Amino acid sequence: MVLYEIFGVFVYPGIALLFGLAFLYEWIDRKFFARVQNRMGPLYTGPSGILQPVADFLKLLSKEDIVPASCEKPIFSVIPIVYATLPLIALFVIPITGSALIAFEGDVIFLMFISAFITLSVFLAGWSSAGSFSRIGSIRSALQMLSYEIPFGLALIGPAISAHSLSLTKIAQWQVANSSWFMWLQPIGFAVVLISLLAELELVPFDIPEAETEIVAGWLTEYGGRRLALFRLGKDLELVMASTLVASLYLGGAQPLFFIPPVVILIVKSIVVLMLISFVRALFARFRIDQMTSGMWTYLLPLMIVQILLVQFGIGG
Amino acid sequence: MSYGTTIKVPFGPQHPALKEPEYFLFEVDGDIVVKVTPRIGYVHRGVEKAFEQETYLHNLYLAERICGICSHAHSTCYTQTIEGLIPLEIPPRAVYIRLIMAELERLHSHSLWVGIAAHEAGFDTLFMYLWRDREMIMDLMEEISGNRVTHAINTIGGVRRDITSEQATKIKKFLEKFESNVKEYTKVLESEQTFIKRTKDVGVLKPRDAIVLCAVGPTLRASGIKSDVRADDPYLAYGEIPFNVITHDGCDVYARTIVRCEEMIESANIIRYALDHLPEGKIKVPPPRTIAPNESVGRVEAPRGELIHYARSNGTNKPERYKVRAPTLGNLASVCQTLIGAHVADIPLILAGIDPCFSCMDRVIITKKSV
Repeated sequence: MVLYEIFGVFVYPGIALLFGLAFLYEWIDRKFFARVQNRMGPLYTGPSGILQPVADFLKLLSKEDIVPASCEKPIFSVIPIVYATLPLIALFVIPITGSALIAFEGDVIFLMFISAFITLSVFLAGWSSAGSFSRIGSIRSALQMLSYEIPFGLALIGPAISAHSLSLTKIAQWQVANSSWFMWLQPIGFAVVLISLLAELELVPFDIPEAETEIVAGWLTEYGGRRLALFRLGKDLELVMASTLVASLYLGGAQPLFFIPPVVILIVKSIVVLMLISFVRALFARFRIDQMTSGMWTYLLPLMIVQILLVQFGIGG
Repeated sequence: MSYGTTIKVPFGPQHPALKEPEYFLFEVDGDIVVKVTPRIGYVHRGVEKAFEQETYLHNLYLAERICGICSHAHSTCYTQTIEGLIPLEIPPRAVYIRLIMAELERLHSHSLWVGIAAHEAGFDTLFMYLWRDREMIMDLMEEISGNRVTHAINTIGGVRRDITSEQATKIKKFLEKFESNVKEYTKVLESEQTFIKRTKDVGVLKPRDAIVLCAVGPTLRASGIKSDVRADDPYLAYGEIPFNVITHDGCDVYARTIVRCEEMIESANIIRYALDHLPEGKIKVPPPRTIAPNESVGRVEAPRGELIHYARSNGTNKPERYKVRAPTLGNLASVCQTLIGAHVADIPLILAGIDPCFSCMDRVIITKKSV
């Protein structure tokens, strides 16, 4: 029994699967993004460059470890590990195989907490490295969080109200039982959750905290070597987290379909979400931080409140 | 919101938004720039002194290497200046070939710039598309001249290579495709809200300021002033070819983008007209080795604006004095003005807005501070 649990945490559906998915998703994102831009994308490592993210990760691990002299050393060293761990913990709660590794009533709230914590760790990462670009980046990421966090939270709550449960597994099961997806029932919520996840993942048009042409790499500027590798892994895991979260909250989750195992269904759905995210980030230019903040508060939040009101009046669930 | 104190933000000499080394010190109040101090001269290469050391023919190669992007504009200006010294009339066919190359270069330089502007605004997809199309121009220019960057097609007294009728058809075929692509990109830029939000009313340069601060080229034309050396002081065959001087009243980065997009279409028309009216005949006449004492000024509308070369001969085979004024120098004062009051996030866009080419510009370092 204990062995089985250990297997669950470390191999399937735990860390090994999630790491594999993280690298796979990074490859899909890069390849798809490149094809939209009429480029080839990763090509040489493995068939169609599928191993490129792994190769990048290993290469970064072998690089020299540089620590800026004036940085806040303890925080600077701990944050990369924290940043890579947080999305992993969040992924334990998401029912990837139909049932989550850790499922409890209230894990939606837990997810919100983790997502806020990720941004907090980003802020600390930038702040502790004491570079001017890092500081600007970290302040921008904190500002960004202030604007997307509330619509994001409300977008998670919408399905929870309809399914009468704060458990992701139960929300996914409700959709299977009622054979209807929340994407159709609460379309505004679906749009809002996608937009706020773009902001959470710091992708175009919300890649403001790490805007390359403005502030070098933003909060990541001072990081290199294995610390950067951990951040990159964390980012990939966040990508998995975001797409599986949308897939299980709004796209019906891991539904069994004929003989296909539910986990495959969920992965396919989340890949669709991932491609949607990649597509959106190829379509837009970057907002300025003030435009983003005011846009989120003036459009996204009222829209989401309207959605919640609709749900309360029994429309859409 | 004002914080009372200002923070000094250094920008460059190495910065991802600047492709060439140049330094700007910004004094920032909160998120708003209140003072800009540029420091130029990082890529001073002693070009003018080098001109005085070499013969007129050798200098041709040097002139071409002043700038990597507008190399043909510099060599056209150089040959024009030297031919003014002699004075020497070049065959009409050579005139047209120079003009076709100049307009092709304008196409590639403008598509490069619009791509960069999109990239600075975070719109990488357009950047990739434009640079893909630019590659076609580079290939075409390589086919005509034998080189991608330094074309070396100009020589004193004409051009070194002829454009064959096959190449002419190839250029025309390419232009058709390129023009429709550019029209589509212009439509995208005009309708893409995120791009408009980032560029409209950003880096405003009022027409009056533009004149006072000596802005040139597309920057000046985007402030609504109809000024183009090609139309005002026609050189090569621009006097014989009908074309419009594109202006825009926006005065902002958005206007500069649209002006360049429309200029690309205008350039395509010019090339088409020139190919249809390509005169027959020789492509060069032999120039003399030595030049009697004389003075001459050449003006060319480079992709970035008005380019001025000045030469003085003294009867030997080397110039006594040579002076180059690149368009970026003309635009630098205006960009420093427009940066005041801008958001920190808009600095790269505004700086890129003049299409800076710092290494062409760096001529002299002022060592005496009291000047």
